[in-house]
Amino acid sequence: MLATVERRAFKQAMFAVRDEDAALDIVQDAMLKLTENYSDKPASELPMLFQRILQNTIHDHFRRQKVRSTWTTLLSALGHRDDKDDDYDPLETLHASTDTNIPADPAANAEQAQTVRMIEQALSRLPARQREAFLLRYWEELDVAETAAAMGCSEGSVKTHCSRAVHALAEMLKARGITL
Amino acid sequence: MNDQESRIAHKLTAYLDRGAADLRSGTVYRLQQARSAALAGVNRARTTGTELALAGTGATHAGRPGLRGTPVRWLGAVLLIAALGFGFQQWQAVQQVHEFEELDLHLLASDLPIDAYLDGGFQNWLRTTFDY
Repeated sequence: MLATVERRAFKQAMFAVRDEDAALDIVQDAMLKLTENYSDKPASELPMLFQRILQNTIHDHFRRQKVRSTWTTLLSALGHRDDKDDDYDPLETLHASTDTNIPADPAANAEQAQTVRMIEQALSRLPARQREAFLLRYWEELDVAETAAAMGCSEGSVKTHCSRAVHALAEMLKARGITL
Repeated sequence: MNDQESRIAHKLTAYLDRGAADLRSGTVYRLQQARSAALAGVNRARTTGTELALAGTGATHAGRPGLRGTPVRWLGAVLLIAALGFGFQQWQAVQQVHEFEELDLHLLASDLPIDAYLDGGFQNWLRTTFDY
């Protein structure tokens, strides 16, 4: 099971954290957690469980990053904090900066490779929850209920996130001259 | 989710599949290593779990001597300890008999009458004269 999903899992982590080493660590952690805690589960449940673990591991990465960044800000600014950042949650509002860490495709001149790269970049710019819903529902082909379970939200939220994600991606790609 | 959304989504995921297929070889290798490490953990856990499960039944695993003989070994150890204890007790009894024999022989061979040893004055004279 892991062999079939590991590449997509890595890509999912990359879209979220945009750092190859961090993404690899996340996938490895998720694999270890799955095998350590759920190896006795029926095979049919493993894909959904793995996705839930993967999403939680990505969330943990951001939480740790947020804690680190909070301490760094506190120590470096000596108490000069921006109050509007208090309720900032990167999982809800994270948008990509223009300089991503996605490695340049060596066949960047090929139109198809360029399209893939633009789609990946557009996906990285989606809000985290929309991206999660889109990838789980359409790329991992989980049904709405499984996606909701993996994301820890309602089925209605999954449908909303998926719909917004598809429209946002189509708009971003259209702006770059790609019509789907 | 209407049909148009699904159609667009599936076109996008087809491109994503191509992107996932074109991962760098170093990344693919590290993913394989991560998977191997995770699966090795499962195999270790299963082996340990099997051994723990078999421990209660006294069955064997992988042809090695199992734990079926454990009660016999315990019984053997208890019997050995009991035999050693009994042997030590017998040896002590024999040694005590020999000490009594030597004492009796010494008393019989001595020129002094036995009553002299029971006389307190004689004991005091020995203590002051020979300082023992």
